[in-house]
Formats: sequence, C-alpha cells, structure tokens
Amino acid sequence: MNDIIQPIHIAPTRSTPEVRFDPARHLLEIRGQSYPENAFAFYEPLLRWMDGYLTHVQSETIVEIELQLPYINTTSTKCFLMLLEKLDEAYRQGKKVAVRWQYDIDNESELECAEEFKEDLSLPFDIVPKSAE
Amino acid sequence: MREKGSGVFRLIDRNLLEVQSILRNNGILISFSGRLSQQLIEEYGDAVKTYLESESRPKNEIFHIFSIFIEMTQNIKNYCTSKTDSVSCDQIAQSSIVTIGKDDQGTYICAGNLIEHTDARPLGERIDALVHLDKDGLKTLYKERLKSSEPKDGFGAGIGLIDMARKATSPIQYSVTEYADNLSFFTIKAVV
Repeated sequence: MNDIIQPIHIAPTRSTPEVRFDPARHLLEIRGQSYPENAFAFYEPLLRWMDGYLTHVQSETIVEIELQLPYINTTSTKCFLMLLEKLDEAYRQGKKVAVRWQYDIDNESELECAEEFKEDLSLPFDIVPKSAE
Repeated sequence: MREKGSGVFRLIDRNLLEVQSILRNNGILISFSGRLSQQLIEEYGDAVKTYLESESRPKNEIFHIFSIFIEMTQNIKNYCTSKTDSVSCDQIAQSSIVTIGKDDQGTYICAGNLIEHTDARPLGERIDALVHLDKDGLKTLYKERLKSSEPKDGFGAGIGLIDMARKATSPIQYSVTEYADNLSFFTIKAVV
C-alpha cells in the first residue's frame, strides 16, 4: 500500500498530458493533449498502478478524477476507456469514485468525447465547462 | 557543382515555380512530404494549428482538422513501421505526403503514401464499409470497435478511419494508383 499512495507527477509533453496524483486528497488529475507514438506504452504503468490503488483504497475514501483532455487520438481514447472502466468497476463494488471533466467551451469534440465516455459508465461523471481564466 | 544548369540547381529557375502552381491549382495551403517521425508529426501538427489560427478559423474546425491530420499521419507512420521487414520499406517511408487545402467542398486533409499492392484492397474495403453509414451508425461502430480492440497489437488503420469519418462532413474518399510491380500509391481525403 505504501508505494501505491506515493504522489505521482508526470510532466506534460507536446503529445502526452500532465498526470498528477495527490495521495492526501486521493485526487488524480490528467490534463493535456494525448497522441503519443505508442499510447499503450505511456498509459500502461498508470493502468497497472490504478489496479493496485483501487484494490487497496478504503470504501469510505472519496477518490476524485479530474480530466481536461482537449484532444486524444484513437489509441489514447482506448487507454482512457480502460482506465474509466476500472474506475467504474470499483464504483460498482462500492468504492466512492467520481470523475469530473472540464472541457473547453469552444471545443465540441472534447465535449462529445466526454459525453461518449459517460454514456457507458455508471459512476458519477460531471462534465463542466472550464471556467475562463 | 560545375554543371549549374542541371539537376537540383534547376529548381532555382523553373521547377519551384511549377511546384507552387501545382499546389495553388489544387488549392493546397500546406504540404509536408517525405518520411514521417513522431517528432515531425508533432511539429507539423503545431504548424497546422498555428496556420489555421492565423486565418481566424472557428476553433471547432481547427480541432477537427488537427485531429484528422494526426490520425492520418500516425496511420501512415504505423503502416511504415509495420513494413520494416519489407524490401520496399525505405521507399514506402519516403513516399508519404500530407496536404491541407481548400476546394469547392470545403477544407480538406489529403494524404498519400506507397503501400504494398496486396494491402490496397483491404484498406479500400474498410473505407467503403463506412460510406453508407450516417453519424449514428459511425458512432455505434466506433464504440464497438474501441471496446473490442486489443490494446497490445494496436488497431491498424481501422478505428482511426472511423474517427476521421465521424469528423468529416462528407464520406472519406480514396484512390489507388499502380506505381510499381509491388507498390501502389494510396490517397485518402477527408473534407471538414
């Protein structure tokens, strides 16, 4: 459990988002564009970490996922689908998991992408416009 | 160096002007030709965005063009990677060209590259299968494929094509031109 609740910080690049996990708040944030050469290589460690984390996290702990993904290519979309399915599974098993996606109001594709993920999931999934500045 | 009028030096007095008029006659605004790498795809992608922003295009249109541009270039690059063992590997990798332009249908993204002759038909069939689907049909297919796809082996061009078709305002077009014994030039075009 100890190494699972370590903070995570992966700095953004042009084709990969910033990833932050704050263990004190049980808050995972992913922000930025995602179209790396190999999306699975980038997301696999995060997906594996999430499996471990969700197994160990207490049922009463509130786990929050904050997303801002203006553009994700198709392979990254598959990775996010896998991530969200893990979270949904944990939610259905009684864990308190919630997703909040802040989208750019001028970016219809981002809103559509968020809505399409939400359609197939049962966990709380808020889609809110990003507040200006 | 001595023969100033021959070969590549000619570009200076005549050929470059011809290249430009071909681009102009086809409405091509941006063109990248030659081997693609992830780094170049990122650089080109940024350049495309900056260019479109400078033209004050609606943001939604810019996101759509950028998205199709990235899927097309990554499809080509993945195709080249899958042909690493082919004798034509180098020729295939050098052959890619991606353009963005305008014609009477709207803004288009059009890309081409050499492919092995035997790959032309399956690729064409994948695109043909999307032509008669409306937006809802494309969405359903996209979600199905996304769910059933195996992460490890990548997708091939399949899901990327559906994604492009969803963002395009008219069906994706393609053409195949025989080029050499074993190779054809495959062109794909999406209009937004």
